[in-house]
Amino acid sequence: MIKRGLLLVAGLLFCTISKAQSNYAAERIPQSLLPYASAVVRNDETTVDVKDSDNVIYHVKRMITVLNKNGDEKATPDVYYDKITSIRYIKGQIYNQYGKPVKKISGSDFDDYAVSDGFSLLRDDRVKHYRKAMTEYPYTIEYEYEIKAKQSMFFHNWEPQQEPGIAVEKGTYTFICEPGFKIRHKAINLSDAVNTATTKDGLKTYSWHVSNLKAIRHEAFSPNELDLTTTVMIAPEKFAYESFSGSFSNWQQLGKWMNDNLVTNREELPEQTIQFIKQLTENITDPKLKAKKIYEYMQQKTHYVSIQVGIGGWQPFLASDVDKDGYGDCKALVNYTKALLKAGGIESYYCVVYGNPYEKLSLMNDFASIQGNHIILCLPFKNDTTWLECTSQKIPFGFLGDFTDDRTVLAFTPEGGKLMHTPKYTADDNLEKRKASFVLNDEGLLSGSMETIFSGTAYNYRGEIIDDAPTERIKEIKKYYPINNMEVKKLEYKQDKSQQPNTIEDIELIAKEYGAVNDGKIYFSLNSIDRARPLRQAINRINPVCIQRGYTEKDDITYTLPKGYRLESELIKKHIDKPFGSFVMTMSIDDNKLVYHRTLQLRDGNYSKDVYQDLVDFFQSVVDADEYNVVLAKK
Amino acid sequence: MKKIILLSLILFTSIVSFAQDFAYGQIDRADLDMMKYDKDTSAHAVVLKEYGTSRIALTNDYNIRLTFEHHTKIKFFDSKEFEQQGTFEIPIYSSDGMVYEDVEDIKGTTYYKDDNGNLQQAELDPKKVFRVRDSKHWSTLKFSMPALRRGCVIEVSYKLISPFFHNLHTWYFQDRIPKVSSEYEVHIPGVFSFNTSLRGYLKITKNTSNLEGKCFTFGSGSADCSDIVWGMSDIPAFKSEDYMTAEKNYISAIYFELEEYTDITNGAKTKYTKDWKDIDYYLKSERWFGGQLKRNSLMKDRIAPVIVNKTDPLEKAQAIYAYIQNSIKWNEIDDFSSDDGIRQALIDHKGNAGDINLALVTALNAGGIQTEAVLLSTRRHGNINKLYPNIGDFNYVIARATIGDKTYLVDATDPLLPFGTLPMRCLNDQGRVFSLDKPSYWIDLNTKQRENITYALDLTLRDDGKMKGTITRYSSGYSGYLRRIEIKKFNSVNEYVENIAEKMRKTRIVKSEIVNIDSLDKPVGETYEVEMNIYDNLNHDRLSFSPFLLNQVTVNPFKLAERDFPVDWGMPSDERYIVNIHLPQQYVLDNPPQPMAVSMPNKGGSFFTAFDGDNQNFSFSYDTRFNKSVYGPEEYPYLKELYNKIILAQKNEFVFKKK
Repeated sequence: MIKRGLLLVAGLLFCTISKAQSNYAAERIPQSLLPYASAVVRNDETTVDVKDSDNVIYHVKRMITVLNKNGDEKATPDVYYDKITSIRYIKGQIYNQYGKPVKKISGSDFDDYAVSDGFSLLRDDRVKHYRKAMTEYPYTIEYEYEIKAKQSMFFHNWEPQQEPGIAVEKGTYTFICEPGFKIRHKAINLSDAVNTATTKDGLKTYSWHVSNLKAIRHEAFSPNELDLTTTVMIAPEKFAYESFSGSFSNWQQLGKWMNDNLVTNREELPEQTIQFIKQLTENITDPKLKAKKIYEYMQQKTHYVSIQVGIGGWQPFLASDVDKDGYGDCKALVNYTKALLKAGGIESYYCVVYGNPYEKLSLMNDFASIQGNHIILCLPFKNDTTWLECTSQKIPFGFLGDFTDDRTVLAFTPEGGKLMHTPKYTADDNLEKRKASFVLNDEGLLSGSMETIFSGTAYNYRGEIIDDAPTERIKEIKKYYPINNMEVKKLEYKQDKSQQPNTIEDIELIAKEYGAVNDGKIYFSLNSIDRARPLRQAINRINPVCIQRGYTEKDDITYTLPKGYRLESELIKKHIDKPFGSFVMTMSIDDNKLVYHRTLQLRDGNYSKDVYQDLVDFFQSVVDADEYNVVLAKK
Repeated sequence: MKKIILLSLILFTSIVSFAQDFAYGQIDRADLDMMKYDKDTSAHAVVLKEYGTSRIALTNDYNIRLTFEHHTKIKFFDSKEFEQQGTFEIPIYSSDGMVYEDVEDIKGTTYYKDDNGNLQQAELDPKKVFRVRDSKHWSTLKFSMPALRRGCVIEVSYKLISPFFHNLHTWYFQDRIPKVSSEYEVHIPGVFSFNTSLRGYLKITKNTSNLEGKCFTFGSGSADCSDIVWGMSDIPAFKSEDYMTAEKNYISAIYFELEEYTDITNGAKTKYTKDWKDIDYYLKSERWFGGQLKRNSLMKDRIAPVIVNKTDPLEKAQAIYAYIQNSIKWNEIDDFSSDDGIRQALIDHKGNAGDINLALVTALNAGGIQTEAVLLSTRRHGNINKLYPNIGDFNYVIARATIGDKTYLVDATDPLLPFGTLPMRCLNDQGRVFSLDKPSYWIDLNTKQRENITYALDLTLRDDGKMKGTITRYSSGYSGYLRRIEIKKFNSVNEYVENIAEKMRKTRIVKSEIVNIDSLDKPVGETYEVEMNIYDNLNHDRLSFSPFLLNQVTVNPFKLAERDFPVDWGMPSDERYIVNIHLPQQYVLDNPPQPMAVSMPNKGGSFFTAFDGDNQNFSFSYDTRFNKSVYGPEEYPYLKELYNKIILAQKNEFVFKKK
């Protein structure tokens, strides 16, 4: 009996679908959306329905046409859930290129996995991943699911264009709540304003609409992806999260709430540790030196382990646990360091930041909500604000490196949340400075030494190998320098671990057949040490140019030439000056010495997309100069 | 070069040995004081002692259980190995709610010197051992050792209790960090018989065995147990090298395979693996292997329209191959048996390697092409042990079709593969041929396939300093397959060409033509009409020009002075390059190059160049060949030197001189 009823319903469903089938045909996609797209979102209808502060229903319905194999993974749904987010249903249907339904999707077509990010020891969120396949393109998949979140502290951002290679025909995001449930919202890269209305049940609705978004693609020197795609963000005023509840309308309040509820009262240390810290620092009066001592103690005592569980995703482990176990994630280690500093009488702020070496992503000045993915510590010394990265055993005191530099962070101060900005390392700071002196003999053998000083974010350019044993380092260093047949006679590192740290590399090397001897001539590369790589051209550049971080390379190389030879090739000079950078190269002959100078600087900043061609030409000139071949002839 | 050695399990000596695990909880002060490991000063950590035990025994409620006990003690010299060696992950399998593995008695202790130099120890908190459910059958227990600091020593032990008693744990003597000693004790009732094999280059330094009487009693029956210990000491850290095949081939470890089980109550023997005849029979009768090969009628109807009007057997075979390639998408899972049956795979349009290639074998047979299945081990999965038959060594299956007097090895997991070409993952040693009606046998997985690329450039220097002309690339053999993969990464051929154009330096592509993208058996031909901004103008007396415009080698890919493991490229390769240059009236070539030729011993490889023409219209060509798939460590210096010579030759430039 029941079976028959089900069949009837299925039959009805089928009728409605087949009536609408023409919409599913791939040929209805506007031509303008095809370039660089492997999948096109035909329609995205996402609705967030706040039934109550601990009952939020997300309803997602998406129809996506997959144009080729590259689009398969972009179109199949991944539905995430955890302890307080449950999946109510998932279903769907696949259509062939003519819009004819060919396959149904049900819950059992999904595989269930623990979410693994490759570095967490433990996470408790899970994902359902769709696994069936189509072998003919294009095809269209339409799926629909509902998830229930038992929290209203944060709402998932709406990002209709989730990654490069996806175009969007149209999409609508609707947020439904009681009129009393106040929200703030922010739309990025969306020209249409929000529409608000009231349903006949008296509920308030907010909606946003997008149409005809072209696919973006990866392009070198691009702005942050967030600045290129459409996002709608919503933040509640009053919220609930598990046993917590609260309200905020700005960063000050959000910071205060998080600090009071998630961080404070987790700082308690065993008396023994407090005494130890006091002893450790009793002869130091300067608070900064004191802090340094404590920080270095923390570094040698702990190591980083990622554990993201439940509210633990927000809340640090107890400082006393870290004291005992010696490990923790970024939250735990910052909280622990903060507790140790407190024992030493030094105030510090727990700070939320986006850590990412490739994109300097700031917390949004004008929109307070749950943001960030990492925690660092701020020491608010007067006129000398100092920042600490607490997850590394090696990073110098007060140095952030490229993971969290130059961006807006949220500091938990006693007065509440406060936006602060981390230090910027300028193009001049990020310096790789090299001095080399070589002898070339008449068999083409090169020998000599070079010293390189890495500072600013370049400090860590040898981070991968510096702690390896000498024999391992010698093996690896050959991959850093394109000198053929390089044999390393000596390789030493020195590190200055001050707040403006540097790494000094000292190498002695020989390279047989560095110069090619042929017919009384010797050919050799002027620069096999520090070569720029050509920047790819962009025939249809879309994004504006953004140089996230500037740097400087300075090389001084002297070659002592073999006796009885003279320089046959020209002495060249190059000087290029552009708004985004400069390049200076000179060659000179001094007795039997060939002296070569090279300075390359790239300056951070935002430029229009037309500048990209200049940048390509600039790098090409540098590459040409770097590849210069010297010819010596017998006198 | 024998890499896999058969070990005998039945080697009882009268020497009474006292093989046993070392006591837990004892720390030697000298270990804490140790500053570096003398035998390998580059080590960041060293295993001081390690003892493993596998024991098959009866539980109180008469279930057979395999208990694997792992006990290890690791010394850390600095923090670099904290994450790798200080964190433990124990995978646990459960076939369903009733039959599952379990971990017991997890103990962990960290010994360290505190800030005052006093010995301290921190115990692992059982509450901080986490269990993560990874998928339906697998979970992982994870924990991180507490209070790690420079110089500390950790000690960990746990028991894994398993109902899957036929899966005797592999023991890895060697790891990425060195070990002072590592021992493995196996305690097995005589009712079980296991095949044992040792891989890797290191030698067993300790081997004792004992007989324990009547240790395994069940009802009225009882059996003796054998207790065997294998040990190694001073085990160096394993270091992998570039262009090496699976690490498993070289890491020293001991492997087990259940051969026979005798039921103690009635003496009935169950053979698991004995000889190939048994395996042949097993595979033939196995539902997910032989069962699928018998599904002739399922395939007959499906391929009828595919081969209609085709009479030539090769054409027929190719059509069936294309049909399977395009009907089932590979889910990237290697297997030699079908997951859910080939029928289901055809419905879902998705399957593992077993689904796809068993469907292929069946379909080809149904189409009248005599075809067998070939089991193999992929490169990542490691070499096959040929000492005794072991089905567990295989993880993949392909088809072997016989057409006339020719045989073809085929794999339908990738729709871009031509008929008779195998993907790199399959090019590993030998495969075992199975059919429903003949005994199985070994074959070489030698398909004679090569990587083959030819570049032809025809360039004219014009008065404005630009070079105009064409660049042509023919990719054939395996290179054609790789090129098609490259092209298909883009949404359209136009986007592929745009990408090529963007990567070329100072060059504009005026026109392009790509042929045979979809004709898998023909070379992919790409022709680009180009304009290169080589010189700003021609107001120079001398212009230098490097003829190595594409794919110039500047740095030797081989940097190690010597290697321990072979360089394995899977197949030979051949790259030819010819450039025709036409100079304007006012210039002549000043330095026509002398032809050169370098070869490796035994025709292993060669590089030669040639020059032809006059000083205004001339052609220059070079040819790089690697004739072998695998180069042993003894050939490595020649390989490295050949690259050196190539680099040196490519430093030479042409000089165009004004008349």
